[in-house]
Amino acid sequence: MNIDIRHIAKLARLTIEEDRMEKFEKDMADIVAMVEKLPAVENQSLALDPADRMELRRDEIKPSLRREAVLQNAPKTAAGCIVVPKTVD
Amino acid sequence: MKYTTVIGLEVHAELSTKTKIYCSCKNSFGSEVNSNCCPNCTGMPGSLPTLNEKVVEYAVRMGYATNCTINGVCKADRKNYFYPDLPKAYQISQYDIPLCEHGYVDILTDEEGTTRRIGITRIHIEEDAGKLIHSDNFDGSLVDLNRCGVPLIEIVSEPDLRSAQEAKAYLDTIRGILQYLDISDCKMQEGSIRCDVNVSVMPEGSDKFGTRCEMKNVNGFSAVERAIAYEAKRQMEVLEAGGVIAQETRRWDDIAGKNYLLRSKEDAQDYRYFPEPDLGVIVVEEEKLEELRRSIPELPVHRLLRYRREMGLPYFDANLLCENPDKAAYFEACAALGSCQPKAISNWLLGDVSRILNEKNRTIDDVAMTPESLCAMIALIDKGTISNTAGKTVLEEIIFSGKTPDQVVEEKGLAQISDTAALEAIVQEVLDSNAKVVADYKGGKSNALGFLVGQCMRRSKGQGNPTVIRQLLEKALG
Amino acid sequence: MNLYQHTARELSRMLREKECSAREILQSVFDRIDACDEKVGAYLTLDREGAMAAAGRVDEKIAAGEEPGPLAGIPVAVKDNICTKGLLTTCASRMLYNFVPPYNATVMEKLETAGCVVPGKVNMDEFAMGSSCETSYFKKTHNPHDLDRVPGGSSGGSAAAVAAGEAVLSLGSDTGGSIRQPASCCGVIGLKPTYGSVSRYGLVAFASSLDQIGPMGRCVEDVAALYSVICGRDPMDATTARREYPDFASLLKGEVKGLRIGVPKEYFGPGVDPEVKDLVHQALRELEAAGATLVELSLPGTDYALSAYYIISSAEASSNLARFDGVKYGFRAESFDGLTDMYEKTRSQGFGDEVKRRIMLGTFVLSSGYYDAYYNKAKLFQKALRNEFSQAFQSCDIIATPTAPGIAFRLGENIGDPLKMYASDVCTVAVNIAGLPGLSVPCGTSQGMPVGLQFIGPRFSEERLFDAAYAFQNLRGGSLCTIPELG
Repeated sequence: MNIDIRHIAKLARLTIEEDRMEKFEKDMADIVAMVEKLPAVENQSLALDPADRMELRRDEIKPSLRREAVLQNAPKTAAGCIVVPKTVD
Repeated sequence: MKYTTVIGLEVHAELSTKTKIYCSCKNSFGSEVNSNCCPNCTGMPGSLPTLNEKVVEYAVRMGYATNCTINGVCKADRKNYFYPDLPKAYQISQYDIPLCEHGYVDILTDEEGTTRRIGITRIHIEEDAGKLIHSDNFDGSLVDLNRCGVPLIEIVSEPDLRSAQEAKAYLDTIRGILQYLDISDCKMQEGSIRCDVNVSVMPEGSDKFGTRCEMKNVNGFSAVERAIAYEAKRQMEVLEAGGVIAQETRRWDDIAGKNYLLRSKEDAQDYRYFPEPDLGVIVVEEEKLEELRRSIPELPVHRLLRYRREMGLPYFDANLLCENPDKAAYFEACAALGSCQPKAISNWLLGDVSRILNEKNRTIDDVAMTPESLCAMIALIDKGTISNTAGKTVLEEIIFSGKTPDQVVEEKGLAQISDTAALEAIVQEVLDSNAKVVADYKGGKSNALGFLVGQCMRRSKGQGNPTVIRQLLEKALG
Repeated sequence: MNLYQHTARELSRMLREKECSAREILQSVFDRIDACDEKVGAYLTLDREGAMAAAGRVDEKIAAGEEPGPLAGIPVAVKDNICTKGLLTTCASRMLYNFVPPYNATVMEKLETAGCVVPGKVNMDEFAMGSSCETSYFKKTHNPHDLDRVPGGSSGGSAAAVAAGEAVLSLGSDTGGSIRQPASCCGVIGLKPTYGSVSRYGLVAFASSLDQIGPMGRCVEDVAALYSVICGRDPMDATTARREYPDFASLLKGEVKGLRIGVPKEYFGPGVDPEVKDLVHQALRELEAAGATLVELSLPGTDYALSAYYIISSAEASSNLARFDGVKYGFRAESFDGLTDMYEKTRSQGFGDEVKRRIMLGTFVLSSGYYDAYYNKAKLFQKALRNEFSQAFQSCDIIATPTAPGIAFRLGENIGDPLKMYASDVCTVAVNIAGLPGLSVPCGTSQGMPVGLQFIGPRFSEERLFDAAYAFQNLRGGSLCTIPELG
């Protein structure tokens, strides 16, 4: 299995340094080869089981966090908002 | 060459539940930035979603109202992509098993009541993203996460629409249903309904669809018409020039009145959908489904057609009445009494009642006047007990007070004088003091009669029955 | 004997009989930390003030004659991927080097209600991905039984802290063996509970459908008591089961007469160290002698569990870890050119290599064109494996296996070879994939290093597992764990 490491890295928003690419590609190839040993399973279906039903939440308002708590971990803030590089879309 | 435009719409409507879809934060528009947020809707590490039962109920009701099959056993899926307004970097949506699918709505295509059936592919529930605020004099974008987790339903239509006007009619229909079900605020300017539009063109008479383009950011009902017209024209021009349409996503700029390329098919995003492992199976029991199905009221298009058919209302009246479910309900309560003509009720509701409500900035819900009172008032006019003008005065008095028309007529002495003997004296007085006008009338100026009727009404302080006065005048003048 | 050396059960009695105070217990633990954590390296963050205040509250309650909670005054170390309000929670990653949660995990609320005292947060593999604690961005943790060896992982800090007497109990998390394997390496007892019995709310997710928080301790009673405190339905976690749980510690009888113990041959294959096999077999013979029946059986899916595990866990991880993008919290790269560059630089500098490998694998198996061949196939295998276990439990009550294929390896021994590292989970991953409970107890030593015996049961059979372990503990003279000297 040949994996397009650069494409996958782009999807995952990761960059792999060029000098480490070779080792990374080899590791990935080994890992994918390992997981590929998985045999196909027959007579199983992934149909939803109503027994796995979850309980739904009631539509009742609970207090939100204070804004300071929402922003306390943000690397950059201004005007009560988180700041990110300018986006166009 | 002539072309047919083929349109499919993806409508995102915000649901008006009290809380967000996956957390207990308040679902409201216009709060201070980042004030309706918790660990879940801001995507904090370790937070988990819990699904709001009302979101499921609202979506199922929309499904029934659009004749969908409901998947009472379904699931949520993650749609993965990076963007600063999406704090978890995935949106919890539904992928291969939507809550509702295979439905349709009938849309009105003209004022004669002609309808067309438009297929609904699916309706699924998902969470909204946050808001990015841009400013020219600020180097960066600001992220407000209040809208994260606001519940949405995405209503996907089949590519059954054939013109910008039909698309508009479809949207009106969808909005009407949302309003009748009372599950969305439907305020386009607040973004509570948003639209992605798929457009393709094909030679007229062909049954093979052309390559479609998706247009994002079409906000506003009239913007939809403009955006479609623009895109259809663009595609036709490309084809006429011998070009081919590329499958791409374009962004509509309503101010500039044009769209531009956002991304081509090659750059199509790979969302890596997979079942949301933080949630279990969504199960809506048969009993619950039945209860929700029964809760669907008569929908606006059907009601409109019925008003035309059974009540004999013109399209204009029927349409205006049906726009607001509460007004329509009031109208029906009046009509059901059977004491006056539906058209007369409609005239009053759409005329003076609406005018007063507008002036006072109130809604039909605030009206204290019972349907019985309104009809009693109309009946008084029909019987000639009061004049039309006096009717307006009565309405002003009863609309918010709950008094009966009889009480007001009594208190204000608004009853018309139809007694010939009483009116004859007034007629005689007017004839005596308006010799010149009488002469004019006799000389052939027939509109002089109207002036004389007016004078008589004045002298009777508005209580004279104008029909009787006219008869008396004509008799006296020979 | 110092206070830190006692078990929670003993300390609870001493507290109630006013032989010591909660503050004295905590002080003893802090003294022990000060004496040996430089060598062991279990803790990432200490909360001396907060913990002392909590211990003080327990003492006040006891003095006032109020009920202080079932585990009052017991120092419990907490893995650093469990959110603690106002206290650094890093997941041992540069990505969260400065993250202070504004909220508590549900288990933290439960610990507080039970009167537990939290001395601090302990080391782990970065985002719980690893089996040695070596992928931590901050420090290496050393095995208290041999400082040149790893404590196992990913809950290596939780295991080492308890093993070294730097905590009486601890919480870890287990996605593919991350509680049981380090418990085995460090010679302590660790439970990976049934999926859905402990709330994951506030546990920084690695693989949501497999992760469970679980207790570690130095005697079976303590682990059962801590499990009783943390289990239960949580309205904040939709995957928790709606059911009632007993007080597990009070149910221990130590009775194995008639207990059918399944012994699956696949767990005793060539990949498992012969001495480990011998020790496990020896333990099983002792249980047999005490009245249990050994049932030989086969679980052929075991050989592929690792493949399915890496597909499912990595797929979920790739999505769960996408939120670490430098926008809302934690690390953001210093210089970048635009949004995409900020994402890529932040994530490339903020994550270590092992985390990147898993994110890459997960992204790949979910990507367009590969989903069916990998993710779907793994989910189908998962169903089949569950059925296989259900079948097995027709002929036995619990299953016994080695916890890990070998003893703790030396620091650095496997760090360059991901597949060798992954192989240390070979005995534990199937339990996670099947959603079952697994309990690891020490069953002897090989080359002076502890070896773990794993009991596996049907879903929600923790009571049975605890009782088997308790019986084994009694057979071994009432104690399975020893705290090493450490100078």
